[in-house]
Amino acid sequence: MTRLVLGPFNRVEGDLEVALTLDAGRIVRAEVNAPLFRGFEQMLMGRDPRDALVITPRICGICSISQSAAAARALAAAMGLSPAPQGAAMAALIHAAENVADHLTHFHLFFMPDFARPHYAGRPWHTRAVDRFTAMEGGAQRAAVQARAELLHVMGLLAGKWPHTLAIQPGGVTRAPGPREKARLTATLRAFRRYLEGVLFGGPLEDFAAIETPEALMRWGRGDLGLFLEIAADLGLEALGRGSGRYLSYGAYPLDERPVFARGAWDGGLRDFDPQDIAEDLSHAWMKGGTRHPWDGVTEPDEAMAPPGYSWCKAPRLGGRGHEVGALARQVVDGHPLARAMAGGGVLARVAGRMLELARSQAVMERLVAGIEPGAAFMAKGALPREGRGAGLVEAARGALGHWLRIEGGRIAGYQIIAPTTWNFSPRDAGGVPGPLEAALEGLEIEGPGALAVQHVVRSFDPCMVCTVH
Amino acid sequence: MSQIETFYEVMRRQGITRRSFMKYCALTASALGLGPAFVPKIAHAMETKPRTPVIWVNGLECTCCSESFIRGAHPLAKDVVLSMISLDYSHTLMAAAGHAAEAALEETIQKYKGNYILAVEGNPPLNEDGMFCIVGGKPFVEQLKHAAQHAKAVISWGACASYGCVQAAAPNPTRATPVHKVITDKPIIKVPGCPPIAEVMTGVITYMLTFDRLPELDRQGRPAMFYGQRIHDKCYRRPHFDAGQFVEHWDDENARKGYCLYKMGCKGPTTYNACSTVRWNEGTSFPIQSGHGCIGCSEDGFWDQGSFYDRLTNIKQFGIEANADQVGMAAAGVVGGAVAVHAAISALKRAQKKTQEKAEG
Repeated sequence: MTRLVLGPFNRVEGDLEVALTLDAGRIVRAEVNAPLFRGFEQMLMGRDPRDALVITPRICGICSISQSAAAARALAAAMGLSPAPQGAAMAALIHAAENVADHLTHFHLFFMPDFARPHYAGRPWHTRAVDRFTAMEGGAQRAAVQARAELLHVMGLLAGKWPHTLAIQPGGVTRAPGPREKARLTATLRAFRRYLEGVLFGGPLEDFAAIETPEALMRWGRGDLGLFLEIAADLGLEALGRGSGRYLSYGAYPLDERPVFARGAWDGGLRDFDPQDIAEDLSHAWMKGGTRHPWDGVTEPDEAMAPPGYSWCKAPRLGGRGHEVGALARQVVDGHPLARAMAGGGVLARVAGRMLELARSQAVMERLVAGIEPGAAFMAKGALPREGRGAGLVEAARGALGHWLRIEGGRIAGYQIIAPTTWNFSPRDAGGVPGPLEAALEGLEIEGPGALAVQHVVRSFDPCMVCTVH
Repeated sequence: MSQIETFYEVMRRQGITRRSFMKYCALTASALGLGPAFVPKIAHAMETKPRTPVIWVNGLECTCCSESFIRGAHPLAKDVVLSMISLDYSHTLMAAAGHAAEAALEETIQKYKGNYILAVEGNPPLNEDGMFCIVGGKPFVEQLKHAAQHAKAVISWGACASYGCVQAAAPNPTRATPVHKVITDKPIIKVPGCPPIAEVMTGVITYMLTFDRLPELDRQGRPAMFYGQRIHDKCYRRPHFDAGQFVEHWDDENARKGYCLYKMGCKGPTTYNACSTVRWNEGTSFPIQSGHGCIGCSEDGFWDQGSFYDRLTNIKQFGIEANADQVGMAAAGVVGGAVAVHAAISALKRAQKKTQEKAEG
C-alpha cells in the first residue's frame, strides 16, 4: 500500500488536493481536500439581506452570475416576489451566457491541454492536439478565448461588467434593453454561432443536438470536438472515472414557473425531487456540528482540523445519498436521449454533456433575445420582510447551486450555500460513503505519480474549488 | 540559460506580425495617456530589452482577476501581453500540474533572481498559521514570502491583494490580510478593483515592462494614470446629477431615461477608477451603464461601509447647505435641462459654480 498526495492542481478554479491510497497501482481509496476556506457564511450574518447580492458573487470569479442569480432568487422567495417576466428572461440570458462561456473555458483552457503533453507523444492524434491545445498557445485556445470575450459583450450590454455584475435583482434586472441593445445582442449571438459551428463543432449545432446515441456521437468527426472524440475513443475515456448514475438538477433558467432545462433527480429513472431531502453531513469535514438541512445549517470551522475530518468541504446528500451535478446531470434530467444513453458514464460522458448543452444553449439564448420587448417592465417591486426565509436554487455551469437565507429583525440570521463542486467533490459521509469524485477515482489503475488518468477524471468534473468551500 | 529574448522576439515567435506590433505600441501609448511621440520609444524599448519574467501566484481569492485579464481585454493587447510576459508561472493557465508546477515555480525564481515581477492575485489568511489556504502542502503565506524575496517588484492584483476584499469582511474569519502588510521590503503597486479592468491590468504591466520602472503612484500606491479620477468625474450620467435628475426606484421612468443613480446608493462620487472611461468587456459598458450604481469596489474597505443599498440622500455633496434632493429640485425648477451642457466638466466645484452662474444669469 502506498499513499500519494496529488496537488496542488492547477488549471482548476482555486486550490485542490487529492490523496490516493494505492495497492499495486490500483486506487483503493481517494480523499479529496479543498484546502481553501474563507468563511462567507459567517461574514453574511447580521448584514442587510440585500448585501448578499454584492457579497456572494465574490465567492467565485468564474461563476459569479450564478451566485448573483441564486442570491436574487433567495431574496425574491423571502419577499414573496415573482420577477417581471422580461426581467427573468434577461437574467436567464445573462446566466446562460456565463454558463456557455464557462463550458468553453473548461474545454479549451482546463481540460484539453493535458492531451498535448509529451506523455502522449506517438499517439496518432498527438501532433494535432499540440497544435490546437498547447497551454496558452494552441490555435483552438486563442480562437476560444476571443470568441468568449466577444460573447461576453452580452454581459457588458445587460450586466454592466463581468465578472461580478450587480444587475440581477430579486424583481428582475436593472437594465431595460432597448431596440439598439436587442440588435447588438442579436449580432453578438450570430457571431458566436459562427464560431461554434465553424471551429468547435465544425457543423450545424442543430445537427449535433439531434444526436441520440453514443455511436452516432463518436461518428461526428468534425471540428475541435471531433479531435476530442478521436482521443476519447483511443484512450477509452468512456470507461474512465465512471459515475454513480445518480444525478441532480435544480432546473436551469426559470421562466414563467417552468425552467428551460427541467428540475429533478435521476437514479436509473426520474425521481421526485424535494429540496427538504437535502442535508449536509459534517462527519469528515473540519466543521463543527451535526448533519443538518441548510435551513438550520451552521458554518463553524474546527480549527484543530481533527480527524476523521480531511477537508473544509461539507458533504451534501439528497435522501442520504451523494449525487453528481453538472451539465450531464442537467441533460439527463431534462431527458435528452444522448445524455440518458450516457448516464453513469465517465470522462467522455461529462465532456459530451457539456458540448450538448453548449449546442442547445445557443438556441436558448437566441430565443431569449428574439423575445425581448423593449417597452415591457424589467423589474417588479417588492419589500423585504422583517422576518422570513427563502431559498434560491439555480444551475451554475458546474451544476446545482443553492442559497438558503433566513431573515430575522431585518438582518441576515442564517445564510447557507451549497455549490456544485460541494456535491461533486464532497468528502465521505457518516456511513463512510465517498463523494462522487472519490467514488469515480476508486478502482482506477494508474501507472505512477504523473498519472494523467487522475488528471482527466478530476478535470472532467470541471471543479470550482473556490465555490466548494466559501 | 543566461540570454533572455527581447519582447519583440517573443512576440514574433508567437506569430504576431510587425504591423500588429506597431499597432500595439500605438494602442499602448494612447492607453497610457502618452503622445504619438512615444510610439517609437515604446517600439524601440520592446525591440531591444530582454523581456521581464512574471510569476503569477494565487492566494485566498476567487480567480476573478485572472478571468478579467484573459477574457476582457482588447484582443491585440491581451495576445501581446500574454505572449510578452509569458507568465512563467501561472497557477490558473500553465500547462504543468502538481509537483511539476511547483518545480517550475522554483526554477523560475532561481533563474531570474532579482529580475522578475511577482503578480499576486488574492491574499494570505493568517489565522491558524495560515492553514485556511494551503498550496503544495504549505500555507500560501510562505509561498508568497518566498517568491517575493527575490522579486524586483510586486503587483497586487485586485481588491483582495490590495486591501483584503470581501473575504476580509467582518468578522474576517480567516484574517485575510493584504499583501503590503506581509511583504514590507519591496515596491508594491496596487491595482485595486473587484476585479480590476482588463485594460488597466495590461496597461500597468506594459508600462512596467516597457519603461522598466514603476508607473507614477498615488498616495495609496495605485497607478495615478488609471486611478487619478473619480468614476463620477467622467460618468456619462453626470449631467443628470448636475440637473438633479435621479432614479428613485429600480426600473422607474427615470431609470429608463438614464438618470443619475446617486440616490440608489451609487458610490461613483467617492470611487477612484477608470470604469467610466475605459469601461468593461472590451469597452462595452460599466455597472452604472447597466442601471446599477457603483459599489466602489476599488476603494479600501468597500465591503464594510454599511449596506450597499443605503440611500445616500443626506451627504452634503455641493459644499453648501443643500443635499442632492434640494439641489436637484432647485436646478430642475430653475433651469430645466439646460445644465446638461456641463457634461464635460470634471471638477465638482467648477460644475457647481457654472450651474449657479447659469441659474443667476
